[in-house]
Amino acid sequence: MESFSPLGALLGGAMIGLASALLWLGNGRIAGISGIFGQLLPPANAMVWRLVFLGAMVAGGFGAAILIPGLGVGGPGGEPVQLVGNPLWIVVSGLLIGLGTKIGNGCTSGHGVCGLARFSYRSLIAVIVFFVVAIVTVAATGVV
Amino acid sequence: MKNSISLPYLAVAALSGTLFGSGLYISQMIDPLKVLRFLDFGAIPSGGWDPSLAFVIVAAIGVMYIGVRLSKRRNAPLFDFRFHEPVAKQLDAPLVIGAVLFGIGWGMSGICPGPAITLIAFMPENLMMFLGALFVGSFGGTYVQDRLTAKQVTA
Repeated sequence: MESFSPLGALLGGAMIGLASALLWLGNGRIAGISGIFGQLLPPANAMVWRLVFLGAMVAGGFGAAILIPGLGVGGPGGEPVQLVGNPLWIVVSGLLIGLGTKIGNGCTSGHGVCGLARFSYRSLIAVIVFFVVAIVTVAATGVV
Repeated sequence: MKNSISLPYLAVAALSGTLFGSGLYISQMIDPLKVLRFLDFGAIPSGGWDPSLAFVIVAAIGVMYIGVRLSKRRNAPLFDFRFHEPVAKQLDAPLVIGAVLFGIGWGMSGICPGPAITLIAFMPENLMMFLGALFVGSFGGTYVQDRLTAKQVTA
């Protein structure tokens, strides 16, 4: 468990929860990233706040890496981030994630954080299914 | 003024997105390998398993739960007319099929949509290819979703 980082995980997780609570209490929106990303194009009429939110996610990651360098990967003092697998593997993964989160109405943030905190039965089932399937996929493909 | 291009509304979106992105960096969930080390349950016996992701999600749910409790006391959020609750309440096939497809993709690469966006700040090789595929998959999904709904209506 050499890579286990409970403090960063708890603090980062609490920040993600606070971000979700803020968007819910302020704007009444679920902080589900696949949903926000997947509704960027017309006919979505409210793409401005979605672009602002996604841009801020990039800026927030960048800013945090400058302020607290060297936590792990990314930014100055950190290891360079690397994606796993060859380009074809990455493209197939991206297609499946885009398709799956659209059809299933959410990902780790929308179902995992917001849905479970709202005691949504649908989200609970989705979370159990995608975690189990992802664990089986890792075991089957041996990518780690 | 309550509309989605009002200044307070966009300020909330900006603050929330900033916190979200910083949280992903601080928790190191931007690292696909760290996510995969959580999903790799086969490594539990050897001690190579990394439970960090569970800590991230439990902490996030805990804080969001407080937000949900606070929202129950209000009829509407601060800067909009209503809470945009998801419409669907019942279990259905698209939910499960979607979760299966997402699970396969996530297990292949260790990238969920949130980290995929925040990773733009660090530009790892092949990220743009991933985001392109995510975009195509998502909009392809809109088409599949429409077909599934149409089928349910006619059935």
